[in-house]
Amino acid sequence: MENLLTEKESLDLIGQMINTAKNNLQKGTAKIILFWGYLVAGFSLATWVLLENLPHETRYHAFYLWFLMVAAYPFHYMLVKKIDRENRVRTYIDGLMNRVWIGFTISILVVVSGMLIDSLIVNTVAEAVKPGHEFVRWFHWLLLVPFMLCLYGFALFVSGKAYEFKPLTLGGIFCFAASFVLLFSLHKTGVYGVQMFALFISAVAGFVIPGHLLNRKEKKYVQGS
Amino acid sequence: MFKDLDPLLHSQLRLAVISILIGSEEADFVFIREKTNATAGNLSVQIEKLREAGYISVEKSFRGKMPRTTCRITPAGISAFEKYVAALNSYLRPK
Repeated sequence: MENLLTEKESLDLIGQMINTAKNNLQKGTAKIILFWGYLVAGFSLATWVLLENLPHETRYHAFYLWFLMVAAYPFHYMLVKKIDRENRVRTYIDGLMNRVWIGFTISILVVVSGMLIDSLIVNTVAEAVKPGHEFVRWFHWLLLVPFMLCLYGFALFVSGKAYEFKPLTLGGIFCFAASFVLLFSLHKTGVYGVQMFALFISAVAGFVIPGHLLNRKEKKYVQGS
Repeated sequence: MFKDLDPLLHSQLRLAVISILIGSEEADFVFIREKTNATAGNLSVQIEKLREAGYISVEKSFRGKMPRTTCRITPAGISAFEKYVAALNSYLRPK
């Protein structure tokens, strides 16, 4: 049975239906935010503790811990698949935000793999590394955390604005500020420890706190819950 | 001069379906049924009419063990919707 409409009723219906998915945040998004938030916070805190306590000559081995992050991706993939199964609508904003976070991951992988190749292969044979100056092989790693925090800030800020969820936006601003401040401490002794501690605080402010707030407000922001 | 309203869109349920899909990348049958308060039978019929007109694409799949019907608007559907809204405006705000 077809129900014909007046022109005004048509426009009202269009507005009402378009709004059904407005501000949609896919159900389970908070789980992914919390997963990565706790993981980065845990790893950075553990690295900081190791840096402070390992003997001087082996303390930088603490960073090898981060290779374990690769093992997190299968769990991330399983979480994404579960969310995909549970969600019944995907808005253009959801699609765009998924691509922003994919771009974020690719950016981190490009920079980290480039630095690893440079430090472990290229610079070991480069004439530029003179005896007594081996530290230059690792020098660019000083910029990694400020760069990562800037990327966190970008992705969190865009997500927060797109979903109109202020805690994510504020988390992004916190990461921008942390990145900016860290750039002024590159020459200080114990800089890697400071960076790991800043990363821990930023993961809590940018992911863990907004993730828990999102869990609590899920009914308001998430469709179909 | 008044433009003709697309008869395919000028019906409550079909217009509701197209309006949901214009604001989403994709939406499944259950979501559309809940938002439109339509019966499953009536919604199936109207979705099929929109699909036959080339306004939407319909994909049937399984998520786990559950069957799932996912709908997306096509470029032809977007164009028809834009023309429909322009026609409505010409009725409400005649020059």
